[in-house]
Amino acid sequence: MSNPQTLPQYLQQSAHKYGNTRVAMRKKQLGIWREFSWMESYMRVRHLALGLQQLGLQHGDKVCIIGDNDPQYFWAQLAAQSCGGIAVGIFTDSAPNEIQYVVQHSDAVIVFAKDQEQCDKMLSIRAHVPAIRRVIYWEDRGLWNYRDNWLMSFESLIKEGREIDLREPTKYDERVAQGNADDLAIFCYTSGTTGAPKGAMLAHKNLISGAVTSTSVDPRFDTDEYLSFLPPAWITENVLGLAIHVMNGMIINFPEEPETVQDNIREISPHALLFSSRLWESLVSMVQARIADTSWVNRALYNAFMPIGYRVADLRFGKGNVPIVWKFLNWLGEVAIFAALRDKLGLSRMKSAYSSGAALSPDVVRFFRAIGVSIRNLFGSTEGIIHTLHVGNDVKFETVGVPPPGVELKISPDGEILVKSPMVFQGYYKNPETTAKALEGGWFHTGDAGYLRDDGHLIYLDRVKDLLELATGDKFSPQYIEGRLKFSQYVKDVMVVGGHERAFVTAVINIDFANVGRWAEKKRIAYTTFVDLSQKTEVYDLIKQDVLRVNETLPPPARVKSFVLLHKEFDPDEGDLTRTRKLRRNVMEDRYRDLIEAMYSGKDEVRVSAQVKYRDGRAGVIETAVRVCGV
Amino acid sequence: MSNSPPARSPLLRAENLHLNFGGLTALAGISFDIGAGEILALIGPNGAGKTSALNCVNGFYRPQRGKILFNQHDLVRTPTHEIPRLGIARTFQNIALYTGMTALDNLMAARHIHMQQNMLASALYFGPAHREEIEHRRVIEDIIDFLEIEHIRKATVGALPYGLRKRVELGRALALEPKVLLLDEPMAGMNVEEKEDMARFILDIHERRGMTILLVEHDMGLVMDIAHRVVVLDFGVKIAEGTPDEIKTNPAVIKAYLGEVKRKASESVEQ
Repeated sequence: MSNPQTLPQYLQQSAHKYGNTRVAMRKKQLGIWREFSWMESYMRVRHLALGLQQLGLQHGDKVCIIGDNDPQYFWAQLAAQSCGGIAVGIFTDSAPNEIQYVVQHSDAVIVFAKDQEQCDKMLSIRAHVPAIRRVIYWEDRGLWNYRDNWLMSFESLIKEGREIDLREPTKYDERVAQGNADDLAIFCYTSGTTGAPKGAMLAHKNLISGAVTSTSVDPRFDTDEYLSFLPPAWITENVLGLAIHVMNGMIINFPEEPETVQDNIREISPHALLFSSRLWESLVSMVQARIADTSWVNRALYNAFMPIGYRVADLRFGKGNVPIVWKFLNWLGEVAIFAALRDKLGLSRMKSAYSSGAALSPDVVRFFRAIGVSIRNLFGSTEGIIHTLHVGNDVKFETVGVPPPGVELKISPDGEILVKSPMVFQGYYKNPETTAKALEGGWFHTGDAGYLRDDGHLIYLDRVKDLLELATGDKFSPQYIEGRLKFSQYVKDVMVVGGHERAFVTAVINIDFANVGRWAEKKRIAYTTFVDLSQKTEVYDLIKQDVLRVNETLPPPARVKSFVLLHKEFDPDEGDLTRTRKLRRNVMEDRYRDLIEAMYSGKDEVRVSAQVKYRDGRAGVIETAVRVCGV
Repeated sequence: MSNSPPARSPLLRAENLHLNFGGLTALAGISFDIGAGEILALIGPNGAGKTSALNCVNGFYRPQRGKILFNQHDLVRTPTHEIPRLGIARTFQNIALYTGMTALDNLMAARHIHMQQNMLASALYFGPAHREEIEHRRVIEDIIDFLEIEHIRKATVGALPYGLRKRVELGRALALEPKVLLLDEPMAGMNVEEKEDMARFILDIHERRGMTILLVEHDMGLVMDIAHRVVVLDFGVKIAEGTPDEIKTNPAVIKAYLGEVKRKASESVEQ
């Protein structure tokens, strides 16, 4: 075989290259990491595929797979694809009616369901999915006494396939050789915020170019370790996990249970990892909580060396030159605490740490840089796989990186990010209108808003539909600005104001009383109450620095031109916020109308008398002057 | 009142148990038997003598009169520490684990009755002792997998939530590889999800390991779901015995539960 075109063809090539001696996959079972060589893994796929063919699986048939990250999941997927089939991943926590929707909509004929739980769900919807010929499970626990020919075990299907392979030794090879890069490989069902889930169709060439794109800027080797724990129904796991596995020989490890991922990461110490920003943040809080509980020696080391780590990281990612003294101190820190921390977190060998999802707070980025791990952002979608990412040391945490080679990216007149690349999907299954809209003009319309900076980095703002427009016609994202301002430790809450009838953006800011208070004490600024502290000139200057810093990352029309520091805190008791601390914009625009109008009419100060409700139900009035600060 | 038990060879037979604490009668002539591979539930209102009966079986209490026959042994006359070796393991209503040890160590500790090596060899940890330890660990890992407690293998038991501790305790009982498993209110204090998990574990243990199970439980719904046969006690006397369906419609049982757990009893009747 010269040039593989499909994932199964790549698997075949890699299996012949690495044979029985090299490890392809590991799965922790009964407390021990069990290894599967390339040949073992390949033979399972081969036999499974022949078994599926025996069940009548044809080119273009769909196979649903409901299961956790297990070797069997990927084997099932590759086996289905070997026969020209399309794998449709379903999340394990889906309810029976959700499974029913995907199974029906995708026209699947065979379902792989991991265990009793998933098989029971299938049995409960059996009457509605008559097209399903068989449900194949790979964990027989609890299913021993099920007497139903509809259900079938993974191993028995492999056994059938093995017998076929003995009788017709070329059958599999011939079938796989027919595979074409244009063949569809997977459907990823995306839960749209509105309406029913849509099935994004991705061809082998999409997945392959996804892997090629990512490895062209961040190489992966056949000695690299990877831990598969993102839902395999996601595009990410298919590209960064499976495709790179079969193409570059990267070793995939599977956690023992979804609950043991954190321990398993430490045991494996992977070279590449993608976490959501939430997960990175929770790691930092975990470290901080553990440090508070640890022995005084460890705590003292941590407190002594973390500031050095921060300093060195700032120097390294700022100007570039680290004085030798700091290098030496950092080396001491490395020996004393950083290496140990990385080991505890399973980041000892980390070369490619990625974050996706919401923006990472700078504190989290700095923390990991201080202990020697550089987190890069990756921005993509199910339909376009990878749009942008940070390459090498060109890491700027406020951006989501640059488009990698092969990806063309432009911003539409209304601020939407458009992408053209070999990774862009083939359309939504049975949904030509939405497909046409998404691929209008040959560009994939991400539905996300952002803009490209002069250095080529993309700033991601928000979903397009959540943008607001100013009187000038310029668009801005209130959530984006609020999120960035809230990264400051001195800012507790913000409401950004704008809209059709206003010419520029303003902000009502709620200071963080504890942190600003501490800062004031250090600076020997006397204050009495929240009201007093919030109106100090020095505090206004302090917050202005944060506003200016955020403004630098914004296009000029979207910059905050004026702000006030509110004399009181946003309060759910008064209806400013919901109980989950989300802003109630309408309520607040009404309540703080005087303040907002003052910012737009250019006043320096406004007298406010605010109704406050105390916890015990009494009502009171605060009268004070709130200053307006132009930026 | 009782339904005549079907003809079968009982694995364990309790005959005419009498247990008094001073002037208080806990058991007043109770007899029941458990067939091999059966799930038998002991139910009854508070203070009916369920746990007392269980405690007699594994030698915690010594009944003043009566016999408990198991494998040609009379358990009433067997020293308490010998009973696990005969193949009887139990869990407790108020979990009794080594709280300062990890879940894994708690399970390994239960393997002591199967350990062949002497203390010196085990302490030096070489040759046969080493191999034996690996063999025991393998058995334990099977149980850990079975009970889905991989994630707390190395966690200190004292720091675990209640539901998980219950699971570890069940694991320890399984580590003895008993023939009869005594479960004292395995679902007490659990939420619905934990209860369903536990019910599934009990069914799986029975199905996979063919274990005979004697279960004391308050949750009528679950008892009726998983038990093959039910024995109902009230004030130390057996008032009914039969399949769950028979028990649900048994007037004596409904009467015993009325006034005390009226809602539950009527609920189970409706089922």
